[in-house]
Amino acid sequence: MKQENIRNFSIIAHIDHGKSTLADRILEVTNAVSKREIKEQMLDNMDIERERGITIKLNTVRLSYNYKGEEYMLNLIDTPGHVDFSYEVSRSLAASDGAILIVDATQGVEAQTIANMYLALDNDLTIIPVINKIDLPSADVKKTTQELIDTFGFSENEILLTSAKTGEGVKELVEAIIERINPPKGDFSKPLKSLIFDSLYDSYRGVLVLTRVFDGELKVGDKIEFMQTGSLYEVTELFVYTPTLKKVSSLKVGEVGYMAASIKNISDIHVGDTITLVNNPCSLALPGYKPMQQVVFTGLYPTETNKYNDLRDALEKLKLNDASLTFEPETSEALGFGFRCGFLGLLHMDVVEERLEREFNLNLIATSPSVIYEVLLTDGSVVKIDSPQKLPDVTKIKTISEPYILTNIFTPSEYIGPLMELCQNKRGNYKKLEYLTPERAILHYELPLSEIVYDFFDKLKSISKGYASFDYELIGYKPSNLVKMDILVNGISVDALSTIVHKDFAYNKGKVVVNNLKTIIPRQMFVVPIQAAIGSKVIARADIKAMRKDVLAKCYGGDVSRKKKLLEKQKEGKKRMKQIGNVEIPQEAFLTVLSNEEIND
Amino acid sequence: MTSSVYIHIPFCNSICSYCAFTKLLSNSKNIDDYLITLEKEIKSKYQGEIIKTLYIGGGTPSVLSLEQLKKLSKIIKLFNFSEKIEFTFEVNPESIDLEKIKLLKGMGVNRISMGVESSLPKNLAYLKRNHDFNLVKEKIFLIKKYIKNINVDLIYGLKEETLADLEKDLDNILSLDINHISTYSLMIEDNTYLKIKGEQEIDEDLDNSMYQLIIKKLTNNGFRHYEISNFSKPGYESKHNLVYWHNDTYYGFGLGASGYLDNIRYQNVISLRKYLSGNYVENEETLSKQDILSYALILGFRKIDGINKKEFFNKYQVNILDLYNIKDLIKEGLIIDDGSNLFISYDKIYIENSILINFVGE
Repeated sequence: MKQENIRNFSIIAHIDHGKSTLADRILEVTNAVSKREIKEQMLDNMDIERERGITIKLNTVRLSYNYKGEEYMLNLIDTPGHVDFSYEVSRSLAASDGAILIVDATQGVEAQTIANMYLALDNDLTIIPVINKIDLPSADVKKTTQELIDTFGFSENEILLTSAKTGEGVKELVEAIIERINPPKGDFSKPLKSLIFDSLYDSYRGVLVLTRVFDGELKVGDKIEFMQTGSLYEVTELFVYTPTLKKVSSLKVGEVGYMAASIKNISDIHVGDTITLVNNPCSLALPGYKPMQQVVFTGLYPTETNKYNDLRDALEKLKLNDASLTFEPETSEALGFGFRCGFLGLLHMDVVEERLEREFNLNLIATSPSVIYEVLLTDGSVVKIDSPQKLPDVTKIKTISEPYILTNIFTPSEYIGPLMELCQNKRGNYKKLEYLTPERAILHYELPLSEIVYDFFDKLKSISKGYASFDYELIGYKPSNLVKMDILVNGISVDALSTIVHKDFAYNKGKVVVNNLKTIIPRQMFVVPIQAAIGSKVIARADIKAMRKDVLAKCYGGDVSRKKKLLEKQKEGKKRMKQIGNVEIPQEAFLTVLSNEEIND
Repeated sequence: MTSSVYIHIPFCNSICSYCAFTKLLSNSKNIDDYLITLEKEIKSKYQGEIIKTLYIGGGTPSVLSLEQLKKLSKIIKLFNFSEKIEFTFEVNPESIDLEKIKLLKGMGVNRISMGVESSLPKNLAYLKRNHDFNLVKEKIFLIKKYIKNINVDLIYGLKEETLADLEKDLDNILSLDINHISTYSLMIEDNTYLKIKGEQEIDEDLDNSMYQLIIKKLTNNGFRHYEISNFSKPGYESKHNLVYWHNDTYYGFGLGASGYLDNIRYQNVISLRKYLSGNYVENEETLSKQDILSYALILGFRKIDGINKKEFFNKYQVNILDLYNIKDLIKEGLIIDDGSNLFISYDKIYIENSILINFVGE
C-alpha cells in the first residue's frame, strides 16, 4: 500500500451520541463485515462494553475502500467517550491523523464533545464534524449545526449529516475521510520508529502490542528494542484486525497493527514507548505520553483472604491494557491484605471493579473512594495521602488541602436551580453561568473533588431527568477544615470505614453514617454499638439490637433435610460478609460511609 | 432397627392461609385411590420391624369418612405394633366426631393431635380456620372419654396480635386440660395464601416476647419445655417426634412424606398423579458419616436437654466435643456442658440457627 493511500482516523463523541454504531456502519460500507455478521457494536468486544453501551478499551481495525479507482487503507482507531477515559482518547489520537467528531442531532453539543474536541486539536488532527441520528423525529439538525458553528467555528458546508441507524450519509463520510484527512507523514527509508499505544494479554501469545509505525518498517523476525525500558525482543508475529485477526509479514510506515514477540514480562511494556530496531536504531524516541493522573483511590480486598494472589494477577493483567490503573499493596486491620488502586474517575473505578469480578471471578470488597490530600505538617513538610488511614497524627498537622475541580455542567435551563442547590450541598463555590442558547446553559462551579466521587453524577442525572451532562477539570489544591472521622463497630475502630470529612459537616455526616450502618449490618447475637468519632470524641452513636429470633419452629412431618438446607443457605449468606472482631459486616457497608443521606429501612 | 412410621394423609376440606404442607382438597374418589396406593407403598418397603411409634398426619386425616377410616385401619394392620406403641392421629375440630373417635380407638390410636391453632375469632379468621373455640371444647371433651393423651397446636405471632391476646389464648388453651402443647410462631412461607397476599411476619422483638410469655405461662402450669416448640406434662413427651430429634430412622409413607432409612433420607413425590402411578420417591439424599453427625447435632440440639455425651459416643463412636467448633461454642457460653449433656444455653434457644449453622457445610 502506498503511504499516501493510508488514512488513520479516530471517532470522538460524547457518550451515547452513536459512535460505536457509526463505526459498525463504516465497517459495513467498507465491506469489512457483511450485514449478516454485524453484531451490534462490533468493535466493543468486552461483555461489559456491550451491556453498558460504552466503549472502554480502544480498538483498532483496518479497512479497505476503493475510491475513484484507487485502493485505500483506512485504520479506524476507536476511542472511549467518557471523560474518565480521556487518557485513552489521547492515546488513540496520537496514533491518528484525523478525527470524526460526532454530535447527536437530538442532543447537540455536550460536555465531552468539547473535551474530546480539544484533545483532538491538541494533537493537530484534521476534524470532520458529523451530525448523527438525523433519522430521529426529535432531531434538530439546524440547531445542532448552529451549535457546531458557534462553539467550534466550523463552516456549515464542512458538516456532514449521517444516520448510523439507516446508514444514510455513511458512504459520503468514508469518502470525506479519504479526501480531507492527510496521509500519514514519516519516512520509509529512516530507521524504525513505532509507537506503542495499547497492549493486551493473550493467553497463547503473551503480551500483544498495538503499534503505529511512524518511520521505517517493522517485520516478523526483526530484533527490536523498547526504548524506554531497554528490553530486547524478536518479533514473532504481526497482525491486523479486519475485524478478525489476520497475519501480515510487516507493518510499514503509517500502518497500524498488533505485534507479538513472546513477551511474558508485563512490566516491559509501557504504553507510549517507542519500538526501534536493535541493529539500526532511530536517534530520538517519540515524545510518548504524560503519565496520567489518578484522581480517585480505593482499597480493593478479596472477600476471601486466600484470593489475594489472584487479585494481584488480575490487576496486573488489567493494567496491561489499562495503563491508567495503578495499584500498590495495602493492609487493613479489618479487611486483611488488598490493594490501594488509583483510577482516572468514578466510571473507570466501576468498570475496573466490574471487570475484576466478572472476568477474573473475584469477590471484592471496595472501601469508600478517596482523593489525594496534601497535608502540611507542623515541621513545614508536605505529605500526600490517598487514604484516610494514612493521615498523620492530628497534633502534627498544620493544614490539610484537598483537590478542587471546575465543572462544566451542560443543562437545559429549567434545571439550573436544582443543580445549583446540588452544588451548594456539595460545598461548591459558584463561578459562572453561560447560556449557549436561551434553553441551554453551562454551569461552572468549583467543587471539592471528594464531593463528586460518591453520588454526584447519579444525582445530577436524576435532578435533570438525564438531560444534564457533566465534565470537569482539576484546578489544584485548596486548604479545607478537614478531619478524619473513624467508625467504631462494637468498640473496635474499623480502619476501612474511616473517611475524611469537612468539620462543619462532620456531626451531620456522623449521624447519617452510623444510622446507615445500623440499617445495613444485620442483627448479631449481641448488641453492637456503632460510633462515629473524631479523635477520641464520639460524635454519633447508634446501637444494632441483638438478634431475638433465628429459629425454625417446625419441621414438616419429619422433613429435616429441608431444615438442613435452610441452615446451609444461611451459612452461605454469612460467608459473603466480612468478619470484624465478632461482628459480620456486609460488603455494601464499606461504601455507604460516603453517603449523605439516610437509607430507608 | 427402624421402629417408627409416619403416614401422610394429604386431604383437607379447606385450605388454611398459612399452610405449606402437602395438601389437596378432599374428593372421595381420590381418597379411595390414594389408600390403595398407600397400601402398595407400605407393602413395598416395610420389612416387618416392631413399630413403637406411628404418626398419621396431614393434611387432615380426620376428613376421611368412616368407610375410608376402616380401610385405613386395615392397612395399619400390616404393621407389627409394639405393646407400648404411641399411635398419634391428627384431627381438626370440624371433621372429628364420636363415631370416628370410637373407630380410631379401635384401630389402636392412643394419642390425638388437634389443630386448634388459636381460640380467638380474629386469629382463626386470619388463619382461615373454620371452627370456633366452643367446638374445640366440645370435641376435646368427647375425645377425652376415649383417648386421654392429647396434643393441641397453637400458632402465635399473627399480624396485629398483642401480648394480651396471646395471654388470653394461652389461658383458653390451658383450660382444655390437655397434656401436650406445640407452639409455632407463624411463618409466612412461599406458596401460601398469606405470602401471596403479601403478608409479613411480625417484628422479631415482639415475637421473642411472645415466646418468653409462652414459656412462662406453660411452665407455671405444670408443663415442661422439652423441645424448642414443644411442651408437655411430665411423661407425655411425643415419642414420635423424639425419634426425629434423636436422629433415628423412620419410615415415611404417603404423598410428600419424608423418611430416613439406612443412610438415606428421602422425600416422596408431591404430585398425586405421580404417586398413584407408583412413583413414590422424589429425592434421595445418601448420607456420609459427616452428614449423619451434622444431622445428629442440628436435630439433637432442638431438645432443651440437648445431647447426652455418652449416648452420642455409643451411637456414633465419636466424642461430640471433637466435632466442628463445639469446644469454642462452649467457651463462648453458647453451648453448655453440664457433665453429662451438651445443650444450647437457654437464653439462646430462640436464636439457635446462628449456632446450628456451625454444624452444616464445610
